[in-house]
Amino acid sequence: MDALGITVQQLLTQLVSFLILFFLLYKLAYGPIMGMLDSRAQKIKDSLEAAETARLEAASSAERVEAEIAAARVEGQKIVAEARDAASKLREQEQDRARSDVESMIERARTEIAREKEAAVEEVRKEFAGLAITAAERIVEGSLDAKSHSSLIDKVLEDGIGERKN
Amino acid sequence: MGKLLSSPKLLAIAIAGIVALLVSVAGGALGASFGLGQLGGPIPFISIPAERVAYIGSYPLLNSTIMFWFGGIILLFVAWRAGRNVKDVPAGWQNFMEAIYEFFSGTVDGVAGGEPKSGRRFLALVSTIFLVVVIINWVGILPGVGSVGRIETVEEWVHHHIHDLEELVHDEHPEYSDEQVHGLALVHLLEEHGADTFVAFHGIWVPLGNGEQKRVPLNKIVTFTSDELHKLEDKIKVGDKFYEDAVYQRIEHDIHEGVVKEVFIGGDDNEYDFRGKTAGLLVPYLRGASTDINTTLGIAIVAMFTVQIWGFRALGVRGYGGKFVVNPIKQGPISTFVGILEGFGELTRTMSFTFRLFGNMFAGEILLIAMAFLLPLIGIIPFMGLELFVGVIQAYIFAMLTLVFGVMAVASHGDHDSHAEDH
Repeated sequence: MDALGITVQQLLTQLVSFLILFFLLYKLAYGPIMGMLDSRAQKIKDSLEAAETARLEAASSAERVEAEIAAARVEGQKIVAEARDAASKLREQEQDRARSDVESMIERARTEIAREKEAAVEEVRKEFAGLAITAAERIVEGSLDAKSHSSLIDKVLEDGIGERKN
Repeated sequence: MGKLLSSPKLLAIAIAGIVALLVSVAGGALGASFGLGQLGGPIPFISIPAERVAYIGSYPLLNSTIMFWFGGIILLFVAWRAGRNVKDVPAGWQNFMEAIYEFFSGTVDGVAGGEPKSGRRFLALVSTIFLVVVIINWVGILPGVGSVGRIETVEEWVHHHIHDLEELVHDEHPEYSDEQVHGLALVHLLEEHGADTFVAFHGIWVPLGNGEQKRVPLNKIVTFTSDELHKLEDKIKVGDKFYEDAVYQRIEHDIHEGVVKEVFIGGDDNEYDFRGKTAGLLVPYLRGASTDINTTLGIAIVAMFTVQIWGFRALGVRGYGGKFVVNPIKQGPISTFVGILEGFGELTRTMSFTFRLFGNMFAGEILLIAMAFLLPLIGIIPFMGLELFVGVIQAYIFAMLTLVFGVMAVASHGDHDSHAEDH
């Protein structure tokens, strides 16, 4: 033992030094680092789990969105089709109305024309009657032979026509 | 080769390297055979026990203890920097410490069965052993450790060595007085250690050159002839005022003076003249803590003691103690014998821990000294690297063996029990 230099005193010194070192290392480094490593592992585990749930949620919500989009598309198509129907119906109605309007207008025009014609004919008839009376008066005034009679009528007629023309 | 010659820089480096090698060879032990060898370091006195460098009260402070504490302080500083403000995103020292700790965390879990945290109970001790052993190994090979120290004079040397001889003489001849015992012991010391060599110091420097051949034997420092010694011995045995004898007084004076008195013939048959130079031994102020058996034994005891605690805590007093103490009647005398062997096994493990680390590190220290002697200046460089490597390897082995023994201790030897019940 002596030749190797082992003495109880020195052995205890080194042993206690080592134990103190062990204790202080534990206090200074191992404890905090171990706690930190554990908490970090826990944190990583938690965040991985959170990421997983978020991923699942995202997947499900994407599905939902897709379905909604599909529904909306169908809806839109329906609306468009309805609008198209309504428009064509409206157009037909308008066309019908226009047509009937035109027809009624034509009708009205026709009756108007007819009325005008009748009025004109009436007026002409009235004029003729007046002329005839005038001519008769003249005949009565100057007249006597048939010959001058008829030439007189012609003259009146001609005058009448010329007057009308003027 | 062409590339080497074309680049002046490389060429200069190569030439410098060759010159350094030649200087080193010529200055070392090989050159000493051709009358050169002025650079070789002397082989110092290699002492297995660590040396005392100071006394704190009556407590002797060893140079190895100083290095143990020095390494410990470095380790604590690193630990403090690493652990004072741990963050989830590590930086700097924390990163470093964490890397080591995580490595050992993985290792202990792997050895202890692979489950996460299954080796947690071993972790703190295993990583402490690794860190402490690495740091004391590494600070132990710093330049200056083992080569800077004080001179132990011949007087001090005699004082240290005469103590055992005095006890021997006293046991042999209890009737002698203290003076007689001291005188006889001194005579025996000179007879036995007359050829022990000392270094002749140049002032405070250990002289370089020629290494071992220049060491001065004790009998050229303290001059005596064997005839004188015999006469003196007889005189002391009679006890007749021997301390007034001229020879005795001369010896005492020479020891006290401690300077080289005579020319001597060195190991290479050359004559060396160191007359008037102080002779003594170098006592290094610092010494690698792992080159002291006290340190390695201390750590080994802590390790193996903790292994026993792990065993008892895991298996209970009956479970773990049943490994060593076996009832010879119930389970047969062979099992009892095996149990005793198991107990001795724990002791031999402690011993093998102690001497593995001590042996490797002590040998490394001597290797470095030898290289300073064989190939001065450059020979030490590759071996410094080697020693750094050995330092880590030994620390790793120490830590891993502790872990393995610990795992073995906590493993229940259930197959053993069921085996015994079968018979």
